[in-house]
Amino acid sequence: MENLDAARLQMAFTLIFHIVFACIGMVMPFFMVVSHYKWLKTKDQLYLTLTKAWQKGVAIFFVTGAVSGTALSFELGLLWPEFMKHAGPIIGMPFSLEGAAFFVEAIALGFYLYGWNKLPEKFHWFTGVIIGLSGVASGILVVAANGWMNSPSGFDYIDGQFLNIDPVQAMLNPAWFTQALHMTLAAFTATGFAVAGIHAYQVYKGRRVALHTKAFKIAITFGAIAAILQPISGDISAKDIAERQPVKLAAMEAHYNTEKGAPLYIGGIVNPETQEVKYKVAIPGMLSFLAFGDFDAEVKGLNDFPEDERPNVPIVHYAFQTMVGIGGLLMLAGLLYFVSLKKKKWFTKNKYWLFFVLLAPLGFIALEAGWIVTEVGRQPWIIHKIMRTKDAVTPMPGIVFSFYTYIVVYLTLSVAVTWLMIRQIKVLNANK
Amino acid sequence: MLYVVLFFLIFSLYLYVVLGGADYGAGIVELFSSEENQKITKKTIYRVMGPVWEANHIWIIIMIVILWIAFPAYYNILVVNLHIPLTIVLLGVTLRGVAFVFRHYDAVIDNSQKLYDAMFKISSLITPIFLGMVFGGLISGEIKLTEDVSSLSFYEVFVQPWFNVFSILVGLFFAALCAFLSSVLLIGESEEGKENIYIRKATIATVVVFVTGLITFMYGYGNNFVFVEDFIKDTYAIVAMLISGLLLIPLWLTIKKGRRVLSRFFAGLQVFLILLAALISHFPNIIITETHRVNLMENIAPDSVINVLGISLIIGGAVILPGLFHLLKSFKMIKILDRNSNPSV
Repeated sequence: MENLDAARLQMAFTLIFHIVFACIGMVMPFFMVVSHYKWLKTKDQLYLTLTKAWQKGVAIFFVTGAVSGTALSFELGLLWPEFMKHAGPIIGMPFSLEGAAFFVEAIALGFYLYGWNKLPEKFHWFTGVIIGLSGVASGILVVAANGWMNSPSGFDYIDGQFLNIDPVQAMLNPAWFTQALHMTLAAFTATGFAVAGIHAYQVYKGRRVALHTKAFKIAITFGAIAAILQPISGDISAKDIAERQPVKLAAMEAHYNTEKGAPLYIGGIVNPETQEVKYKVAIPGMLSFLAFGDFDAEVKGLNDFPEDERPNVPIVHYAFQTMVGIGGLLMLAGLLYFVSLKKKKWFTKNKYWLFFVLLAPLGFIALEAGWIVTEVGRQPWIIHKIMRTKDAVTPMPGIVFSFYTYIVVYLTLSVAVTWLMIRQIKVLNANK
Repeated sequence: MLYVVLFFLIFSLYLYVVLGGADYGAGIVELFSSEENQKITKKTIYRVMGPVWEANHIWIIIMIVILWIAFPAYYNILVVNLHIPLTIVLLGVTLRGVAFVFRHYDAVIDNSQKLYDAMFKISSLITPIFLGMVFGGLISGEIKLTEDVSSLSFYEVFVQPWFNVFSILVGLFFAALCAFLSSVLLIGESEEGKENIYIRKATIATVVVFVTGLITFMYGYGNNFVFVEDFIKDTYAIVAMLISGLLLIPLWLTIKKGRRVLSRFFAGLQVFLILLAALISHFPNIIITETHRVNLMENIAPDSVINVLGISLIIGGAVILPGLFHLLKSFKMIKILDRNSNPSV
């Protein structure tokens, strides 16, 4: 394996892993504080049990997210030293603020986990809110740094040198808002549906139905609202990419030739050799409309860009299709949940619960697919139009060995964390 | 502003060495304890470190972020030439962190605890050794800076800088220092009547720190290491080391009298003086390579970046430090209350 490929795979692998844990660690505190709030209001013992169960989940995921995040903060430099040498000072600001937000989160977590029956009730609950808010702030800041790689700003690039650096402008780059909005909603959708699905499974199996129904309702409310809002954010993102990174948009849609009134392809198999997309459903004019709000607008095709500036089309296209398909499905499922609140008898039907069990992993699959669109779609650039990924990689050979080590360690960790969660739920169900 | 940034860099390095070090040290103390004492230590560590250990480890992130923002050229040498030990440190940090949480948050207590304990203890020892090897590597004079990596062998560029006698000695010295800090901390936190376990550990750790430190110096001196020669010529460094050594006397007196806060203060001050001595003798030439010294203050980021970073750090510090202080203080009181109301825990 080439060093560059190994480095890219290692980065992708560790990011895919970190994203799951970071999202859960960022969103679950909100479920926890809602349940905690209900306990304080109603003094219903089930809410206390649930809060404490979720708190253990938060602690485990926070740490896994934190250590994999620490690893990533080093990996940026270990794998991409040339990138960090130039980009580090420019995009340092969101990272230093993220460090501060993360610190606040760790402090709040210390208060929350160890503060039961020791801190004043309201203050204790409030530290839980701080965990959630600082987690979301961290997420937004890191995404802002990624946004800079897609829309580099806050410097002048003259003769291969980065001059007149403005870190604030770099942080508030044109992509930060659309990406952060899309990612925050995605995190809530993915975690909401995943947690709801786990509790739905317990209800489906008839274990502590009252407790798990309460848990399901809290989690799915967050997930459903986020899923329903997500298409709006997706539309803003699409229009933004159409303007800033037209080649990425073309790859997402496997759109090879520039045309007016471009059709939207749904599904299909891409053949990059013949530049054909087979077995697709084409909606005339729709791509032009989605990208520019005009059915007749011209959409640039991949062939308008030099060959060495195009990303891998099939990967980006399939990932994009997966994301959008699942996103649509989850939005419908979210609406279905709100309908079910009116039709109470659905809650007694096994099919209802099974439906949400099956949806559990989909949010995260969509979220990862979305990141594949962003990251693979930016290639061959590490900084869009400024620095190529191959020029940023470490000169140290043999990265493939560290890649294999990371695979073994992270896969083992994933298995271990899953196993721990199963044990948590078993104990929760046994303690009636 | 540059000095604000520099202050925060050294401040986070110091706090990481003291707080993170005590944290690693706790695992080392547990590793070198009898089976019965391991159980006691495990409980004590959980009580002492539980609420704060995550915060302790964030200092290294702050440090690395300051490095890459403000001193990119310096950071570049670190991540390219010391890639391998840093990767091992990261794996150690990862395994250690999850093992700590697993062993305290696993809903079922069974044989898997043994695995978590082993993971925690072993990574607690290996991680600071490799971290120390990174520190050693930076000043060993073995780093080879070259534009053309292929002209040298893999071993020369990527292994030799850290895998040499001097760097390994620094690694062992650092791990011993962690164990020393932790034992002093644990003396004040132990259950009634168990203080002696940690007083014994602290004695052994002090001896190991002294011996590894001395061997490191003698080896460095005997082999004409630039770092050691600079150090010996520098009066301030020597005075700092001497004071650090003399502080052992008040340290032991305060431990004997049970003045736990004061004893921690002395131990922290000793480590500060050691760090100061190591930095002062060759600052700002923090990296010593085969052919020359790399000046930290050259090749820094432009003023606009340094200014924004400095302001962020001041604001961040103003938010974090009081919160952190409050956290440490709250749980100190809670722990004392706990111990009084429930002596068996």
